[in-house]
Amino acid sequence: MDKKYTKEFEPGFTPLTVCEEASRCLLCLDAPCSKACPAGTNPDKFIRSVRFRNFKGAAETVRENNALGAICARVCPTEKYCQKGCSRSGIDRPIDIGRIQRYVTDFESSAKMDILKAGKENGKSVALVGSGPAALQAAVSFRTLGYAVDVYEKEKVLGGMLRLIPEYRLPDAIVDEEIKRIEKLGVKFHTGCLVGKDVSVADLKAKHDAVVLAPGYSYGKMLPLFEGNKYVVSAVDFLREVKAKKGDVKVPSNVLVVGGGDVAMDVVSTLKLLGVPHVTDVVYEQFSEFKASKKELEGAQKLGVTIMDGFVPAHVEGNVVSFAHREIKSEVKIEAELIVLAVGQYPDVSGLGVELVKGEVNIGKPYYTNDPKVFVCGDIAHSKYDKTVVGGVRTGKEVALYVNAALGGK
Amino acid sequence: MVKKDLSITFLGVKFPNPFCLSSSPVGNCYDMCKKAYEVGWGGVVFKTIGPKSYFIDEVSPRFDKLNKENTPFVGFKNMEQIAEHTLEENLRDLRKLKEEFPDKVLIASIMGNDEETWEDLARKVTECGADMIELNFSCPQMTSHAMGSDVGSNAELCKKYCQAVRRGTKLPFMAKMTPNITDMVPVAKASLEGGADGIAAINTIKSICNIDLDKKVGLPIVDGKSAISGYSGKAVKPVALRFIQQMRTAPGLENLEISGIGGIETWEDAAEFILVGAKTLQVTTGIMQYGYRIVEDMCNGLMHYMEEQGVDHLEDLVGLANKNIIPAENLNRDYIVRPNIDLDKCVKCGRCYISCYDGGHQAIEWDAEKREPSCNTDKCVGCLLCGHVCPVGAIKPGKISIKPGRKCKAEDIKL
Repeated sequence: MDKKYTKEFEPGFTPLTVCEEASRCLLCLDAPCSKACPAGTNPDKFIRSVRFRNFKGAAETVRENNALGAICARVCPTEKYCQKGCSRSGIDRPIDIGRIQRYVTDFESSAKMDILKAGKENGKSVALVGSGPAALQAAVSFRTLGYAVDVYEKEKVLGGMLRLIPEYRLPDAIVDEEIKRIEKLGVKFHTGCLVGKDVSVADLKAKHDAVVLAPGYSYGKMLPLFEGNKYVVSAVDFLREVKAKKGDVKVPSNVLVVGGGDVAMDVVSTLKLLGVPHVTDVVYEQFSEFKASKKELEGAQKLGVTIMDGFVPAHVEGNVVSFAHREIKSEVKIEAELIVLAVGQYPDVSGLGVELVKGEVNIGKPYYTNDPKVFVCGDIAHSKYDKTVVGGVRTGKEVALYVNAALGGK
Repeated sequence: MVKKDLSITFLGVKFPNPFCLSSSPVGNCYDMCKKAYEVGWGGVVFKTIGPKSYFIDEVSPRFDKLNKENTPFVGFKNMEQIAEHTLEENLRDLRKLKEEFPDKVLIASIMGNDEETWEDLARKVTECGADMIELNFSCPQMTSHAMGSDVGSNAELCKKYCQAVRRGTKLPFMAKMTPNITDMVPVAKASLEGGADGIAAINTIKSICNIDLDKKVGLPIVDGKSAISGYSGKAVKPVALRFIQQMRTAPGLENLEISGIGGIETWEDAAEFILVGAKTLQVTTGIMQYGYRIVEDMCNGLMHYMEEQGVDHLEDLVGLANKNIIPAENLNRDYIVRPNIDLDKCVKCGRCYISCYDGGHQAIEWDAEKREPSCNTDKCVGCLLCGHVCPVGAIKPGKISIKPGRKCKAEDIKL
């Protein structure tokens, strides 16, 4: 098998190149990078630590602010956040903050640092439903505050959507290591346990002082036109399978992908790295309004994916799909051996006792539900943060503070 | 976050950590020192206070810097003299700082122009509550030759002024020495004989940093002219380490208490000064370039270093390197260590070949076909210049060969 899918696509910095990159940093006064990080990872401080050769201090800054620092370093759409306002852009291009963070967290790992510390036990306990980014961060934030934490995950593997991000962007080994760190803090994980079926929310409420629901947007949306079509798979299912099998899957030579978000880019790039010669991506948005991060779009284009923007599916006949352009009078017909739908995800909250409006729980009070003992975080929490890993991390940090306040903590 | 006790006792005064502002533009007034304390500096050497009669009149502009390739501030040149505020203002600021920051260390730097003014200034700053005094024997850009580095290169004057200061105060005090001298030991000893309790070293090095090629004048240009003045920053660190090491190893000075100064900007620099015998550390240039915030990484990095070294008291690291810095004639000259070239790391730039040919012994050979270096061990003298120029660290010390007729064993050699 070709190893392209399992090898990290972007090479990491070396001790030499990370110092070069850190020395490009202008160490500015009111650093826009730190203001823009949803997780509060504080790039301005950790880059300064690298600049002044305090790599361990840099690792502390990253880790203490972000329990998924090594993951965010690899998957964060930095151009939308920390790198967006970088003062260095006034000279040439922003600092490659993600990659510096990756060096720092790799350093942390190779130096076997144990930075996270649990707080003094406060005698209270919290149940977390789901083990995606938001729940993992919440678990750490709760442990830091001294809560006992139990995580209930429906799948056999922990990590939620992190197990969908392709191996070339986020190796499983990195996710495993982050989770191991969290386990070391004393978080108890229960896998293969679907809350609402295997155990009820009422049971969890009886056992714990608070329950936090973080089921995530784990299911791929279907479009009515494609319903029941045997050639169609959802992006979520496709990515999960490829990752679980480390790329050892059979794929045909001609694949059509529908969708233009980051998940769609993961699908098309994965297909290319698996050696599929013909990958055609048809996207509702035009390039000027594209949803996927620039980095992922550029990556897909470099790999030779054919991307047609501005088209909507109009007619489906088995494995032949006709698309019409949204603005100009123009049609295209594509025949493929496999069709992957990457048109969004949705959560399943059945049995969890919450109602969703536009996919979110929103009772006008952040992270609260109508049940005073039940809270939400991650994708289903109504917040101003994007439904990305780093957005999840932020909600995980915040929900811990809200729950702590509700339970009378300081 | 790592937590280690960085406190250290120097001249009988306990510092919360060894990092101090040096007497310079960075500690020029109450507001600056207040901010520095708040950011985490353990002590402040307030900008040198001079006699009332000496009028401070500065030039504009007054700085220059040395760059190398894309690195600015390799070295820094400064023409500022001592505090330009009035004596009353300076004394008021000292008093206020001590009142508001009783747990931080406040050191008053003074400079007289005769015995009477030295004694008087010592008395005045003592009354303000300073914890310690530093005698500025070393500013190289004073407009009076009775002051500054002309004093620090004259043992007799050092002793006389220390005696004067001793008459004016009971506080511990240190003499800040100039590096514009061949041997610092005699002046340091003279200062101690005069009553000084310790030494601060080094002040800046007399310099001309750059010449403007069109105008044919040194920089900075002051109305078409320039003057020699003090050079500092990373470039002077090796000079500072050498002076400190020489003082600490001079007979009779083994326990000399030293405040180290000269190009410190990282925790690694700080650790180096401590390992050659400095107990406290003073910084200016790093702050002028980056701000007081650099102390955060110096403190944190030093704590991590203590953790790695298994040391609980900073004191335990002081001077540890000195026994390993010995006269050149006492070094082991029985062996040659030749380079080991890691071809997996090598990016095939050929810089090792160029430097070995033009600056070494023509021992690195270049396979033009493969674009690959190798070492001809017959020609190689083991200077390892190649390793220093390699941009990717692919060349490391390799095999040790014992020179013919020598008794030493390769396995006993410590690289």
